[in-house]
Amino acid sequence: MKSSFPKQFIANTLALFSVWLILSGRYDVSHVVLGFLVSCGVAWLNTGYSHSPFHDFPWGRLVLYGPWLLLRIVESSLHVTKLILNPALPIEPKLLTYRSHLKHQGAIVLLGNSITLTPGTITVEVEGNQLMVHAIDKASGEDLTSGRMEQKIAGMFQEGKGHE
Amino acid sequence: MVVIAIALILIGLFFLVVAAVGMVRLPDVFTRSHAVSLTDSLGAFCVLVGLSLYQGFGINMLKILVVLALLFLLNPVIAHATIRAAYRAGVKPQAEEDQ
Repeated sequence: MKSSFPKQFIANTLALFSVWLILSGRYDVSHVVLGFLVSCGVAWLNTGYSHSPFHDFPWGRLVLYGPWLLLRIVESSLHVTKLILNPALPIEPKLLTYRSHLKHQGAIVLLGNSITLTPGTITVEVEGNQLMVHAIDKASGEDLTSGRMEQKIAGMFQEGKGHE
Repeated sequence: MVVIAIALILIGLFFLVVAAVGMVRLPDVFTRSHAVSLTDSLGAFCVLVGLSLYQGFGINMLKILVVLALLFLLNPVIAHATIRAAYRAGVKPQAEEDQ
């Protein structure tokens, strides 16, 4: 939580500036300098006030988590496609209450986001570490309650080994 | 490269059509939102990756990838906001509650 102001400020500036560089697509002096000044200003105004859930978020490990999630998304997308195209429409919608063991705020945000991103399950309500999830059928719901996704995220944050 | 790009765009379009069919066939807000999330996850994903391959390496590919990253961040937020609003407004899902 106490990550220092200058460090956060520089990180924010770099993030904003790289988005500027990608989206503007012009690299003459006036555009680049203007972009840099604006990113500095916006970062200056926005650093250190809000309580972000993304402090010490393991951004590097996100690179490993991304492809895994993509695979899960493809898998469940095919499942939902089959459900929709089946003439009998064999859906069994269900509201599940799922208690997560994750402690890091960012981890819970990532879990809720991943659940919603995966077709077939959607996060309805989050309270503390308790998630209310709507699942379209049994298989989708069981996939969630098996806790595979949570374990993956816990591994990413290196939780469950007693520290934090 | 172009062949792969066109194939990906066609696959994406297929999933977009399936999502539209799902919107019509599924019974209530909650189940329909599952069909919508199909749109963004595979439909838009395949179309955008196909477009970026079609463009070739360069600034446009980067731009499309930024759009993709934003889509993957924002789509769950919007879906969640819609569903939570429906839930809080008292729309009852056609579902039994379960622990």
